[in-house]
This record gives sequence, C-alpha cells and structure tokens, in this order.
Amino acid sequence: MRQTFPVRLGAAEESLIAQLKAAGADQAAERVTVAGLPTRRVESYHYTDLKTLLRAIPPLAQAANEATGTALRVPGAYALSIVNGAVQHAATAPEGVKVGKTHGGVLTNRDDVIVSVSNALTKDTLSLDLKGAIEQVVQIDHRIEGEAGHVADATKIFVADDSSAVILETFSGSDAAHVGNHATYLALGKNAVVTHVTIDLSGRATSHFATNEYHLADGAQLRTLIIHAGSGLARTHLFPKMEGEGAHADVTGLNLVSDGQHSDITMETLHAVPHTSSQPLFKSITRGRSKSVVQGKLIVARDAQKTDAKFMHQGLMLSDDAEILSKPELEIYADDVVCGHGSTCGKLDEDSLFYLLSRGIPKAEAETMLVRGFIAELIDPVEDEALNEALQGIVDGWLLGEK
Amino acid sequence: MTTPVLEIRNLHARIEEREILKGVNLVIPQGQVHAIMGRNGSGKSTLSYVLAGKEDYEVTEGEILLNGENILEMEPHERAAAGLFLAFQYPIEIPGVATMTFLKAAINAQRKARGEGELTTPEFMRAVKEAGAQLNVDSDMLKRPLNVGFSGGEKKRAEIMQMALLKPSLAVLDETDSGLDIDALQVVSKGVNALRDGKRSMLVITHYQRLLNHIVPDVVHVFADGKIVESGDKDLALQLEAKGYADYDGQAA
Repeated sequence: MRQTFPVRLGAAEESLIAQLKAAGADQAAERVTVAGLPTRRVESYHYTDLKTLLRAIPPLAQAANEATGTALRVPGAYALSIVNGAVQHAATAPEGVKVGKTHGGVLTNRDDVIVSVSNALTKDTLSLDLKGAIEQVVQIDHRIEGEAGHVADATKIFVADDSSAVILETFSGSDAAHVGNHATYLALGKNAVVTHVTIDLSGRATSHFATNEYHLADGAQLRTLIIHAGSGLARTHLFPKMEGEGAHADVTGLNLVSDGQHSDITMETLHAVPHTSSQPLFKSITRGRSKSVVQGKLIVARDAQKTDAKFMHQGLMLSDDAEILSKPELEIYADDVVCGHGSTCGKLDEDSLFYLLSRGIPKAEAETMLVRGFIAELIDPVEDEALNEALQGIVDGWLLGEK
Repeated sequence: MTTPVLEIRNLHARIEEREILKGVNLVIPQGQVHAIMGRNGSGKSTLSYVLAGKEDYEVTEGEILLNGENILEMEPHERAAAGLFLAFQYPIEIPGVATMTFLKAAINAQRKARGEGELTTPEFMRAVKEAGAQLNVDSDMLKRPLNVGFSGGEKKRAEIMQMALLKPSLAVLDETDSGLDIDALQVVSKGVNALRDGKRSMLVITHYQRLLNHIVPDVVHVFADGKIVESGDKDLALQLEAKGYADYDGQAA
C-alpha cells in the first residue's frame, strides 16, 4: 500500500532522487520522493530501517584510475573484475565460459528501492554464459575504489542445461563511505548444478547492498552461500525462484557481525511449480554491540504441490550486547506440502567448552573450534578445495580480528 | 618416598550455596588404582569435576596436589597438560568438530604446554591407529564429528582412546561403566587395564561393584555425604555390593 501523505526527505533521499532524475529514471525518483527510504513500517525492512541507517548517498562513483588487487585470492580461479561499476577487461576465459558486456539493470522490477535504484543506475552489465562442466572457480571481483562513491553494478549469468559451475563474487575496496548496489541474475538450465558464493569484505565505512535473483529450471541444483564480513551496513536480498520440477536450492548464509555492524540477509523463495525443494540455512555470529538480521519467506504457489522446504536460522552470541533478529514467514497456497521453519539463538555451550578445555586445549583455541564447528555445515559443502580454504581463512580472520 | 600422584587434603567445595564436598582426604601413590564407590548424589561426580576444574564449583577449603603441585589455581587445560585426564560419564557431542581435528589439537596443545614439539601428521596417524585398534575404534568413527551419533559404548571407548593418546599420570574415570553392556564393558576395561603400567594412577568412580571385577583396584573408598567414610581393599567393594550403602547413612552428618 502506498503512503499518500508526503514524507520528510533526508539528505540521503535528496541525493538519491537527484541521481535518479539525472539518469532519466523519473518513476524511481518519484517513488523515492513519495515514500522516502523504507522504514521499519515496510515489512521487509522491518529490522533494517534504511531511513535511519543510511544517512547519506555519496556522488556516483567515477571510473577508478588504479585498481588495487582483489580482497580474496582463490588459487586457480578465473577472475573478472568490476571496478566502480565498470567491467574490466579480463584474461582469456576458460573453455565453456563466455564473457560479455551489456548495459542496464538485470533485476525483475518490484516495489523495492534497492531493486529500482539498481535497475535505474546500472550502466555496465557483466554477462556470463557458462556451458559444460566448468572446473575453474569463476570469480567476479567487485571493488569500489577511491573517494566515497555510489555504485550500481550488475551481473547476468546463464548456466546451460546439464552444466556445472562454481561462481564466487567478492566485494571490497577502499574504506570510504561507499554505497554499493550490486545485482546478480543467475539462471540455471535444466539439471545445472551451481554453487554461488558471495562475500562482502568491504571496509567498515561502506554500506553494501546486494540483490540476487535465481531462476531454477527442471532438476537444477543450486547452493548459495552469502557471507557478510566487512561493511558496517550490509544487506543481501535473495530471490530464489524454483521454476522447474525437481529443482532444489540450498540457500545458505552467514552474518559475521562485530561491534557497530548491522548485517541483514533477507530471503524470499518462490516455489512456483510442483515437486521442488529448498533448504534455507542461515547462521549469525555476533560480538560487541552489533545486529544481525535474517528474514526468510517461503512462498508456495497454489499448484506447487509436494513442495518440501524448511527455513532455519541459528544464532551464536559471543557478547551480551549483540542483537540477533530472526523472522521466518510462510505463505502457502498449496495444500500438500511439507514446509517449516526454525530459529535458535544462544551462546557457546559451556559443557562443550569445558570438554575441550579438559583435554588440554586452551580457551581461545577451544572457542575457535566451537565457532568453526558451528558454521561447518555452511562451509563444508563447498567442495572446491581452494575456495573452501579461502572461506575458512575468512572465518578464522574474523575470529582473530579485534572486537 | 616418592611423591604421590594425587593428594587431596581436606577438600571442601560447593555449587552455588550448597556444600557438596565436605572434607575429602585421599592419597593415590604412583601406579595405584583407587576406586570410589557411593550412591547417587553422594558427591562422587562433583569430586571428578572439581579435580578437572569445572567453573561451576567453588573450592572453599583444602588442596589438590597433582604430582606434588597444587592445581587449584590452574585452568582446566593447564591441569590436563600437567597430567590429569577425566573420562566423562557423559562425553559431550560436538557437531562440526571432526574427531581427528580434536585429537590432534588436544595432543599438540598438551605437548606445547609441556615444551615438547608437535607431532608430525604421520606420527599422529600412527598413534591414533594404534590406540584405536586396542579399543575397536575404527576410522569410520574417527571421521565423524566428535562423539556425534556415537552409541553409549562408542563414546566410552572413544574416551579411553583419548586417554591412551594423552598419556596422563592420573586418569579419573567417572562412572565409565554407565550405559555399557557386558561386551562393551570388557572392551573398555581391557583398554583401561592396558594403560596400567605401574606408573600411571587411576581413580575409578562407580556405584556398581561390577566394573571392579574388570578393573581390579588396589584400594576401595566408600564415599558418603561429601567425604570418604571408609577405605579398604577390593573386598570392601564386594561387601558393599552385598550390604548396600545403608550402613553409612547418617554417619557423616
């Protein structure tokens, strides 16, 4: 429902409106003018009130002169980069990988400010066509360099029938008050098997937004792993859509949140046809005064009988001051389905800790083992050895990091 | 005279406001196996936790000397490195932590604390294989997360295997027989007996005499109301089995 009374617009909204108008996106500009940035009254932003959290939108980022290296090097990966929104020239692509460049947004329009800004402001779009069994990890390295800048970039990936790929997206850059708005459209052909890992390693001053749209054809198998471990404010909005019978998605994510950070993973999975399944599993680890939000909505269309889906969110609080917010939602229109949701939250188990200590393992090491154990079921299924190790490295680095 | 491996002097301990140990005195010389018997709730398990250094318990009086060194100020992991091992009555399941990773971390942490070098991977694998063979712990069990999905017997065998690998000077076995059938009891007892080498000392806590047929103690102590009320040789266990603990009721009050 649209608000009919005018809202008071802040500096962030004023800049955003100007940028949208300059890009010719009058409709998007009008929407922001009328509604402002979403507040807690907008259900999907209930715990991530952008009006409060996003005080400024920096000017649109200019092309970066010199690009620094990637924040995460995975040995053997084929890396492409998008710097300040511009798709860079890449090394020769491995067999089965076709790299292209198009223009404009990639997301399905919906009433969401991040989506409409992405579609309005994206210029360069990286397009990837993947065919066959791609052995090399395909890495898309997004970076925002230089002075604080607002960046919208987009990637469109098609994975052909019976093909397989591991796609990694990394986000990093200079530690400035950037606002990154990243869109990924990933379509899986029949029986395609894809692992899609995204990792935010941006600086603390950055606000990171990502919207991932997934389309799964018959028998397609998707595993996603979203890791937030960088920006002060991070939100990834996932829209998996199960469009073919036998499609299955393991939608997983991890918020690693330290003092002063706010991380949000919001998922809306649509089971559109019969006989599809999904297993969303999210974990939050918080320390200091921080906030982790996980929202998961499962929508089962009227004809989508035999849908099997369960949402789970587990939180681990390493401090008393952190907040973990969990919101599962079910919207089921079919009558023969198995759907569920669960949520847990707690501290490290004292008995487990004592058991490890009693075997001679010092406290800090024992805690690390337990935390690693807590997230093992997210990291372990990533089969590529180099990527698995890199992910473990990120977690270990986070654990060693200052509070 | 050599220093006893364990010497407990007038140990008092409480949890919250409740005093559970009320003046325990116990000396275990090198190489001896002592059994503590007592009914449920007499404080036997508390004694094992206090020895291992569990935070929930507060020691209000007394001393615990391990090889002559007071361990009360030590953290649990320091006590382990100093040679103390507690075989848990209920070993903890830890999902996501691979048994092998855990074993290696424990062995190397203790070696490091003692100023010894870490084991190489082949050395470690050999040690695990040897210890595992003794206790029917196969590689399949070792691949699983720590204690997760283990049966009662498997958990206890895994505990004794850890003990074999960590080579403590004092092993405290807290009701190791609970949850074991006869066959499992024999495997576990055999494993424990294989670790009796004339130097290592053990404290076996149980409320059934049955275990002591397999692990024959040098001394049996009767525990009632937070302290040792009688000590004797292994025949004391048989007498207890016949008469029960009723004679000791009220005696300590």
